[in-house]
Amino acid sequence: MTIGIPRALYYYIYYPMWEKFFKELNIKIALSPKTNKKILDLGINYSIDEICISIKLFHGHVKYLIDQGVDYVFIPRVLYEENHKSNCPKLLALPDLIKDSFDIQDSKILSPKIYLNYGSKKSREEMKKIGEIFVKDEKKINKAIRESIRFQRLYESYLYKNYGDTLELYEKLSNLKILTKNEEDYDLKIGIVGFPYDIYESYLNGSLLEKLKKMGVKYIVSNMLYYDKINNSYDFLSKDLFWHQSNVCLKSGLYFLKNKKIDGVITLSCFGCGLSSIYTKLLDIFNEERTKKPLMHIVIDEHTGETGIITRLEAFIDLLRIKKGEGYV
Amino acid sequence: MSKRLIIFPRMGNSYIAFKTYIKNIGDIPVVPRPLNKEILELGVKYAPEGICFPFKVLLGQYLDTFEKLKIGKDKKVYILCLGGYGPCRFGYYNALHEKILKELGYKNFEIVTVEWINGPLIKGLPKFIKMVFKLIGFNAPWNIIRGFINAAYKLIAIDDVEKKAYKIMPRELNRGDTEKAFSEALKIIDEAPYNNLKKIKEAHIKALNVLKEVEIDEVKEVLKVGIIGEVYMLLDYDNNREIEKKLSYMGVETDRSLTTTTWADDRIIHVKRHKKHMMEIVKPYLGEFIGGDGQESIMNTILYKEKGYDGVVHILPFGCLPELVAKEILVKVSKDIDMPVLTFTLDEQTGEAGLITRLEAFVDLIEKRKEILIRKN
Repeated sequence: MTIGIPRALYYYIYYPMWEKFFKELNIKIALSPKTNKKILDLGINYSIDEICISIKLFHGHVKYLIDQGVDYVFIPRVLYEENHKSNCPKLLALPDLIKDSFDIQDSKILSPKIYLNYGSKKSREEMKKIGEIFVKDEKKINKAIRESIRFQRLYESYLYKNYGDTLELYEKLSNLKILTKNEEDYDLKIGIVGFPYDIYESYLNGSLLEKLKKMGVKYIVSNMLYYDKINNSYDFLSKDLFWHQSNVCLKSGLYFLKNKKIDGVITLSCFGCGLSSIYTKLLDIFNEERTKKPLMHIVIDEHTGETGIITRLEAFIDLLRIKKGEGYV
Repeated sequence: MSKRLIIFPRMGNSYIAFKTYIKNIGDIPVVPRPLNKEILELGVKYAPEGICFPFKVLLGQYLDTFEKLKIGKDKKVYILCLGGYGPCRFGYYNALHEKILKELGYKNFEIVTVEWINGPLIKGLPKFIKMVFKLIGFNAPWNIIRGFINAAYKLIAIDDVEKKAYKIMPRELNRGDTEKAFSEALKIIDEAPYNNLKKIKEAHIKALNVLKEVEIDEVKEVLKVGIIGEVYMLLDYDNNREIEKKLSYMGVETDRSLTTTTWADDRIIHVKRHKKHMMEIVKPYLGEFIGGDGQESIMNTILYKEKGYDGVVHILPFGCLPELVAKEILVKVSKDIDMPVLTFTLDEQTGEAGLITRLEAFVDLIEKRKEILIRKN
C-alpha cells in the first residue's frame, strides 16, 4: 500500500506533518520526484491552457504518481487557513480538478479538508477519517495526528528562527534537532515574497535561491516570518486580502519594505495567478508612497528561460550593491 | 445636505434602474459611457497586468467619467459598487480601485462598498451601519423604500423585455426590427418617471407591446443555446461583444443563465436556498463552493441539458479564477452529459472576426448534431 504525495503546492507548506502522520501509521509514502521536463510536459498536456503554472505542475506530479501505480493520491483540500478568510478558487477545487482531468475513481483520492489550520478540531477529524481507511486502531490514529501536529510545529519553529529555508529544512527533516544556525557573513539582505510553491520550485524559477546564495546574498523568504508578528495593516490597507497565502505575501512584503535591515525586495509569482496581481500592485503603491526601496517583480511561466531570470537577478543585486556604496562601477 | 454625485458601474441596461434609485434618494446619478476603446485603454493602462478584465473595465469607466466631467479632484463624488469577501477577486476591487485612483491624483472621492458583515459582529456592525447611511443618504424612510421598489420594478421590466427580445430576434422576418423595437422599449422604461410606480408599470406593458408589434415567423424551428459564465461578461453587451445578437442573427434562440433580477434573488435574497440547490446539482463534479459564478456555470450547463437545449456558450474574462476552474471541469461535464460547450475567454485583445468564425462553426456543428440525433430516433 503506497500513498502518493505530489511534490507541488501544499507540499511546500504541510509536508512535515503529512510525512509524520503516514509514518506513524506505517504506510509507505511515494513522493513524486523534483520537477523535471517530463513532469512539466505531463502537466501542460493534462490541464487547460489558461490555468496558472503551479496548478499545471500539480497535474503533472499527480499524473506521474498515477503512472507509477500508487494506490492513493493525497490531495488535501485547504479551505481556509485564517479566520473569516477563504482560499484561491483553484485550490478550493483542487481534488475536483484532478478527478475530472484524469478520470480516476473518487476513492483513490484522499482529500481531507483543512479548516483554519492543521491543528483545528475540524482538521483533526478530517485526518482521522483518512487514518480510519488504513488502520482500525483509534488510539494509534489519534497518536499519529498528535505527533504529526507536534512535528509540524517543531518544523515551523525552526523555520521562524531562520535555521534555513523550507528546502534546507526538508532535507534534514529526520533530524531537525541537530541543526545549527549558519552565521555566514553577508553584505546584502533581501526579502523574497511569494508563495512557497513558487519560490521553492527551483526548476521553474531557475534556482533563484541557489543563485542568491552563490552571490553571497542573505535572503529571507516570506514563509520564514512568523505570521502573527507581521499581521498588521500598517495603516495602509483598508481591507485584508481574502486568501491566507497571499495575505502572508502582502504582509511580509510590507514588513520587508518597512524594515531598515532589508536592502531590497523581490516578488516571485506565476503568470495568471490572480492573487499575486493584487498584492504586487499594493506593494508597488506602498513602496511608491512611503518607502522607495528597490523592488523587483519576477513573473514565471512554462516558457521562462533560466538566463532571463539570472540576468535580471544579477542586475538587481549589482544595483543594490552600488546603492550601498560597494559596487563594481 | 446638498445633492451628492453618485457614479455606479455600468452593466448592461441595469443602469436605468440604478438611476431611478439614486434619483429617488434625492441625489444625482452619473452614468459612465458605454464601453469603448478609449475607456478600455484607460483601464488597461493603470490596472495591474494580471488582473481580470472586469476590473480594467470598471477602472476605465471611473477614470473616463472623472476626466470627462472634471470631478474627483475639486468636486466630490461617490462611487457605489458591490463588495464581498472572496474567494473571487471581485470583493477586493473597491479597495484596489481606491488606491489606484488616489495614486493618479484623484483625492476627492469616496467609494461606498455595499457588502455584508464579515468576521466578528462587533467590529463589522459599525462599518456596516456607516455604509448603509451612505447608501441611503439622509432621507425619509418612505423615500428609500419607494426608491427600492421603483428601481426593482424597472429592473424586472428591463429583464422581461430583454428576455422577450432575444426570444423573438431569431424569428423576425425583417432583420433589425427587433433591435429597433428593443431599444425603443428600453427608452420607454427609461423615460418612465422615477417616482411613480403606476407609470413604471404602465411603461412595462407599453414596452412589451412595442415588442409584440415585430413581425415574426412563429413556426420557425430554431436551435436553442444557453449562455453561461461570469456575471459581468454576461450582463454587459459591450463586454461580451453582443454575443446574443450575433447568435440570434445566425438563427439561434439564446437564453442567458443570469439576469440582474435572478442574480439579486439568488445572491442577496435567497442565498441559502440557492446555494443548497446548486451544490446538490454540481456535487458529482465539484465538492466545494468556489465563489464567483463558477459553480453556477456548471449547474446551468446541467440544467440546460435537462431543459433540452442544443448547446452552451461559456464566456469568461481572462484570468477569472472561479470560471477557470469551471472551464476545466466543464470539459468532463460536457462529455458526461453529452452537451456541446463552447468556451470564450474574452479580454481587451479579443478580435471580433475570430469570435464570429468560432460561433458560426459551433452553430453549424450543433445544427448537424441535432439532425443526426433526430434521424437516429
